[in-house]
Amino acid sequence: MRPTAEELNVVEPLKSSLSQVLRRVRPLEVDQEHRLPEGLLAELGELGVFGLTLPTSHGGAGLSAVAACTVVAHVAAVDRSVATTLGLHLGLGTRGLVAFGSKSQHERWLPGLAEGRTIAAFATTESEAGSDVAAVKTTASVDGAGLKLSGTKVYVTNARLAKVLTLTAATPGLGGAKKGLSLLILDPATQGVSLGAEERKLGLRGSSTCTITLDDVSLGADAVVGEPGQGARQLEHVLSWGRLLLSAGCVGTTRVSLRTALAHVKLRKQFGKPLFGQEVVQRQLHAAAAGLFGMEAIVTRAARAEGDFAALARLTTASKVFCSERAWELCDLSLQLHGGAGFIEDTGVALPLRDARVTRIFEGANDVLATHAGLSELMTPLPQSPHAAMAELEAALAERRTALSTAYGVRAFNRRAALHALGRAAILRDVAAAATSLASSPGELDAAAQLRAQALAAVRLPLSDEVPLPFLERFLEEVLS
Amino acid sequence: MTQASLTEVNGRIVAMIAQCASGVRAQDIKPTHRLREDLGLDSVGSMELLSMLAEELDLDVPVEEAAQVSTVEATLALAHRYLAQKQA
Ligand SMILES: Cc1cc2nc3c(=O)[nH]c(=O)nc-3n(C[C@H](O)[C@H](O)[C@H](O)COP(=O)(O)OP(=O)(O)OC[C@H]3O[C@@H](n4cnc5c(N)ncnc54)[C@H](O)[C@@H]3O)c2cc1C
Repeated sequence: MRPTAEELNVVEPLKSSLSQVLRRVRPLEVDQEHRLPEGLLAELGELGVFGLTLPTSHGGAGLSAVAACTVVAHVAAVDRSVATTLGLHLGLGTRGLVAFGSKSQHERWLPGLAEGRTIAAFATTESEAGSDVAAVKTTASVDGAGLKLSGTKVYVTNARLAKVLTLTAATPGLGGAKKGLSLLILDPATQGVSLGAEERKLGLRGSSTCTITLDDVSLGADAVVGEPGQGARQLEHVLSWGRLLLSAGCVGTTRVSLRTALAHVKLRKQFGKPLFGQEVVQRQLHAAAAGLFGMEAIVTRAARAEGDFAALARLTTASKVFCSERAWELCDLSLQLHGGAGFIEDTGVALPLRDARVTRIFEGANDVLATHAGLSELMTPLPQSPHAAMAELEAALAERRTALSTAYGVRAFNRRAALHALGRAAILRDVAAAATSLASSPGELDAAAQLRAQALAAVRLPLSDEVPLPFLERFLEEVLS
Repeated sequence: MTQASLTEVNGRIVAMIAQCASGVRAQDIKPTHRLREDLGLDSVGSMELLSMLAEELDLDVPVEEAAQVSTVEATLALAHRYLAQKQA
């Protein structure tokens, strides 16, 4: 991330205090024991990290999103479970309240959240409402002057730690809305709220993940955050922040993973020289460094859009997809370069890879997000970039977009594979544009050129839905039998 | 278009809206309902609906025009405008 000098003045001292506190974190122990070290969150709270992005009026530090991303990346470089606990609190857990909460909700909840006395969780996913977030069945019905809430939320991060829970629920009839979703905020200690067992996971094992059951929970009307019935729109904003901080975490994980890989290939000798002397390895690391630069660039650009909801939604979609996929690829490269040692758990090389895996799934599965990116590219194309180097790529993308809308009109919105391909190209265009404007050193300029070339190749890929799938089911049966 | 076929087309459109806005019954849908706030469709859902409508009624609706539609009323008006154009 590229904080300004002013942001660095705050972030650098905080990073060194954090390094002190995080020194006792042993990622492999966190992974094996499925919990964070005792008292760690309280120590982090004392540093003020849980209030980083919360308003100063209520005890927060009021830092920019870029500063918060820098801190989350720093924590993720030490341990991804700690970073997920923090990132979830700063993003999904509190953004709904900050952006849409009333003065009295702010007064009630924000001071504890800023100090880290209360940790936040956010619950929207249900067993039948995963990628299809609009299918939420949890319902808050009008009950006298208040609400009665029932439903079951699954995979809730921070569930066991949380003292504040924001969730989405259908609120039929509330505020005149027919079916709209609303955001609700509540104390999980409220009667009727119960917690399931901790999920056993592939990674992020120190981060709490449970089901939360809501059984006729009585809430006051003041539990509704912002305008009733506006939950879908609010959710988009909350998820934007979640995706942003998740992407920052990917930067931290990838950076430390590549750092380990580089140290290893410089030391490890095969064929009479260090692995780093192999041209193939050098080229792999050259591409990896460009990928990491692209990750930093898109996260920085997305974070700088924090005041513009629409731009934030688009850019965080791009950053989430790009960063989670590069994190997976580059942590995998690190493992590969470690050879057999990479596969041995005790070396710790595999842990970042396991931890990174879920980032391609949660906060919107990547292929769903790529299709969304295609939809928004079709609906609201971006103005031209001021960088001449982007011209060829932008022209090629515009040509592809125009071909799609001319051929199908609004029916293009149901050509999911075409939208998905357009979205993937648009995501790479956003990354290339961010890298192009950030690049200054020769290495960065070269990285930006690599990223533009990758984006151009994606734009020029043939449309996947032009290839018919007549034998799909039969062929699957054949090869799977 | 006759009154009967107008009613039939409106019925088809409202049924499509109900199908896209899961949990809403066709008989509860009113022309003034907003696709997003009242029927719970997000921006993707609204576009899916208009796309399905164009497919079912065989209409060539440009993307830019579809993007302006935000209510049931406007959805019906858009469909009728393009149906009329097709028949002209
Ligand atoms: C560790 C963990 C923590 C989580 N934390 C939270 C949390 O704090 N709060 C919360 O609300 N939720 C949380 N989630 C839930 C997470 O956001 C969902 O798992 C995710 O959105 C995907 O939903 P799903 O699991 O139902 O997958 P599904 O919706 O069933 O999708 C499965 C797969 O199908 C494919 N797919 C689905 N739809 C499409 C499509 N339209 N086009 C192309 N491909 C498609 C994708 O490959 C997708 O990965 C968490 C999940 C995990 C695993």
